[in-house]
Amino acid sequence: MLLLFGLLTVVLSFQMSISTFRAPGSGLFPLGLGLLLMLLAGCYLGGLYARRAAQPNPPATEAWAPRGGRLPAFLAAMAAATVLLAPLGFPLTAFLLMVALLKTLDMKGWIAILGLSLGTALASHLLFVQWLQIPLPKGWLGL
Amino acid sequence: MFESIQQLLNGFAIATTWQNLFYCLAGAIVGTIVGVLPGLGPIAGIALLIPATFGLNATSAIIMLAGIYYGAMYGGSTTSILINVPGETASVITCIDGYQMAQKGRAGPALAICAIGSFVAGTLGIFGLVFLAPPLAEAALAFGPPEYFSLMVFGFVVLSNVTGGSLLKSLMMAIVGLIIGTVGLDPVTGIARFTFGVTPLLGGVEFVAVAIGLFGIGEVLINVEQPAEQLEQQVLVPRFRELYPTLADLRASIAPILRGTALGFGIGLVPGPAPVIATYASYMVEKRVSNHPEEFGKGAIEGVAGPESANNAACQSAFIPLFVLGIPFAPPTAILLGALLIHGVNPGPGLIAEHPQLFWGVIASMYIGNFILLLLNLPFVPLFANILRVPKKILLPLVILFCITGMYTVNNSIFDIWTMLLFGALGWLMRHWAYEGAPLLLALVLGPKLEVAFRQSLMISHGDFGIFFGRPVSLVFLLATLGFLLMPLWRRLFGLLRARGDGTK
Repeated sequence: MLLLFGLLTVVLSFQMSISTFRAPGSGLFPLGLGLLLMLLAGCYLGGLYARRAAQPNPPATEAWAPRGGRLPAFLAAMAAATVLLAPLGFPLTAFLLMVALLKTLDMKGWIAILGLSLGTALASHLLFVQWLQIPLPKGWLGL
Repeated sequence: MFESIQQLLNGFAIATTWQNLFYCLAGAIVGTIVGVLPGLGPIAGIALLIPATFGLNATSAIIMLAGIYYGAMYGGSTTSILINVPGETASVITCIDGYQMAQKGRAGPALAICAIGSFVAGTLGIFGLVFLAPPLAEAALAFGPPEYFSLMVFGFVVLSNVTGGSLLKSLMMAIVGLIIGTVGLDPVTGIARFTFGVTPLLGGVEFVAVAIGLFGIGEVLINVEQPAEQLEQQVLVPRFRELYPTLADLRASIAPILRGTALGFGIGLVPGPAPVIATYASYMVEKRVSNHPEEFGKGAIEGVAGPESANNAACQSAFIPLFVLGIPFAPPTAILLGALLIHGVNPGPGLIAEHPQLFWGVIASMYIGNFILLLLNLPFVPLFANILRVPKKILLPLVILFCITGMYTVNNSIFDIWTMLLFGALGWLMRHWAYEGAPLLLALVLGPKLEVAFRQSLMISHGDFGIFFGRPVSLVFLLATLGFLLMPLWRRLFGLLRARGDGTK
């Protein structure tokens, strides 16, 4: 993946002015970095291959794979909050985000979830908007 | 020297008036709160509160804003230790061992050592500021683009070495950070690079988004993957007597604090993000001189004491170029420069003579501010450490909410939140594949400066790379870099020779 990232950087750098060492263009520095990254990624892969080749029967290792459905739900809740922040405003989005995240993490009891979410939304609104005077999105509700 | 002492005493008389004591206290408290909140670092904190100083005289205003600066630097370490979210750049290194200490139920000693180290560094740094300001400022001015480039390269190799993982992987991460740092307008020609027509990217990838994403969101996502029963229980919660450092902790921290102070003070004079480089250099030094380097990255108290002291000392010495030369070398001091100009004070060589009450008053207030921070923070160690008692299933959503809110406050930008989430997912993948986030983050900060220094050097030398080797300071840094790169090879070779020697006996 890093090898590809380096290659992509090199390709995109060539679309910019490289110029000369006397007057380096915009693409020279990223081009050098892309090449260096490809070189290091190549060395890493080479080392990996050499180690594997040295061990004809490598011990079985547990392949890593993402576990459970909680993580996608968690990510989806964060993405949804980002989309809703401007239209719904900060307090309501904070409340909904907390409800979604607490439910995703298997918090028991709706009263506890709603109470904690409401308290957090109110406290953060007081801290950021009222006290620190930070202009967070007000949304349709105008809060 | 006697004149400096006399002037410092006058400064204490100014700083200890009720009015200035109040503003020093207010600055330290607000700074600590600002530093604790993810996303709101010293830059945002100072910028947000400049308007609040409009009604004050210049001395009181700068005393309060300086208090916010060093208060935020301390507060940033608190979140690094407790929830692995660096409040500001210089706290990234504290995450490595501070968070590990917290995971082992030693959040209290880590927080207390932060406060003590910061106080000692701040105090010694002020004496350095008083006596060494003029000659050291001259030395810092002698750094040209080639020296700066070589120093940065040295810094990258050092920081790639510090995290304890594979050097090759860390170097690759540093290069990825440098590439991400090239996104935006070319600092020399102003041409847009890698922006793909996305307007918010013209200003570059927001550093805070990357920091919170890689460390904060990445850590939360790793935790979310845990089985439900692990989310119920929390990290080891310390008993009351374990909240403060033991005598052994203090003994182990004395030398790192003193070394970190000296290192941080010296690096603070060099142009660039001094506290960041200082923390990394200090961590590296501590790891090298330690009798148990294998404990670094697993909760070594020296890995917190040294960098935190270096951070604070660098903050203090960064005031030298600001006051004496009128040149801010770091973003927070650049904002302080703006505040000085707003209040009708022109910093530069004439500042000490023209505004002695401001110069010496602010220096004395820093000492008082550090003392206030120590008094404020030590009693609050149990309170902060008890944050860890909150079950993960409640703490994690709270961290996410604060990350999203803090991220938005930096530029009032939804795009920044998306960037943070993207880097959060990347941080999660990197954790699984054992890649370190710290080299990437630091490279992102230093990258644009490195590129400017590189291109300026080549322009000065008309394309001759010899400029980097022909200047003594630059050559020393490059040789040191080579030494660091070859060190693993030397070690392996030395080990082989010794093994062969033992075998022949």
